[in-house]
Amino acid sequence: MGATAFHRFILTLGFLSLFHAAYSAAQHRSYLRLNELEFTGLPLDITIQAILSLFVIMYGVLYIAGDFKEIKASADLENRSWETFRNVSSFYIFNHRGKAFSPNYKPLRSKSLLDIAD
Amino acid sequence: MNSINTISWQDAKDLFRTWRENNERKSEDVIYIWKAALEYNLNKLGNEKQLVVEQVCIAALDCHRLDIAEFCIRYLNKEFPYSLRVEKYKAMILEAQERYEEALDILENIINADKTNSAARKRIVAIFKAQGRNVEAIKQLTEYLKTYMTDNEAWQELSELYIAEQDFQKAAFCVEELILHSPHNHLLHQRYADIRYTQGGTENMELARAYYCQALKLNPNNMRALYGLYLATSNIATSSKYPAQKKKEANNLSEWALTEIKQRYKEKKVANIEDYIAALQIS
Repeated sequence: MGATAFHRFILTLGFLSLFHAAYSAAQHRSYLRLNELEFTGLPLDITIQAILSLFVIMYGVLYIAGDFKEIKASADLENRSWETFRNVSSFYIFNHRGKAFSPNYKPLRSKSLLDIAD
Repeated sequence: MNSINTISWQDAKDLFRTWRENNERKSEDVIYIWKAALEYNLNKLGNEKQLVVEQVCIAALDCHRLDIAEFCIRYLNKEFPYSLRVEKYKAMILEAQERYEEALDILENIINADKTNSAARKRIVAIFKAQGRNVEAIKQLTEYLKTYMTDNEAWQELSELYIAEQDFQKAAFCVEELILHSPHNHLLHQRYADIRYTQGGTENMELARAYYCQALKLNPNNMRALYGLYLATSNIATSSKYPAQKKKEANNLSEWALTEIKQRYKEKKVANIEDYIAALQIS
């Protein structure tokens, strides 16, 4: 589920429409104040526009926020194997036979060092 | 290897990130890709730059490519002078050269400068391990765990060390700690069952069976747990020490495990599993 230009457009549209609804509401209040009318409630069209744009934003965000995660707690672990799990990087040791493959490795010659290893 | 040769630095960056997140060792591949794609594009990596350099440094030490490791450490040192984290890498390069005493000196300096530095303490354990002094490594690690009880990695390493010393009871205890920490991890349940199965004996065999079942419940695709369940249950079914009821249950379970294993192989389109198993047997 990738975020396409279409979904970005929908999201922008939703936000613009929501701001427009907010602006209309503010204007309505100032209109009432100027005419010294009592505030009873917002006009129906502004309420509908606000709710509709909320849903439009929700639709856009769902596609842009990224993929959903599974509810199951072990879902992430399902594909991991013991091989990678047991591999703890802070306890790596470098004194292993792999270094013999290195181009700049010189094998130990002195016997005393080998004795220590035993 | 052909795809590695032509990898772009963006792909290499993503690949390195997944390897870092999954804890994969792959040191040789890391070095190869570093040489092929990343070394000359280092400045394009943005805020992942230092992480990648650290990763390459450890991989280089692992492959005994000390030239690359030195380059990485010099780079990090220039970026963060006086950083204890970089000091740790300097100790690690001495470790790779088997100059353990000097490495220990550096690590002790780090600990003196920052008493709470857990990474340096872990490296001391690793040095003992590299020298083959497992008993001392265990002693150090238990001391460490008295202070840092929630360190998962340390518990895991301690259990590995105990297994190397064949002290399965204590290794099992460490895995129990790990299970307490992440009860949803099927690998830990499987590991615990492995240890109990290795110990043998009536009670341990039943524990192994139970934990293999739990591992399979958490992740039905865990092949090793399936095999383990088959081995543990067939062990219970053929032993004379169990009551008849338990033997019957174990028999059912082992049959189930075997059919499951066969099913998995069929899905993977392995022609005839029986032939392969027969080929393994000593005639």
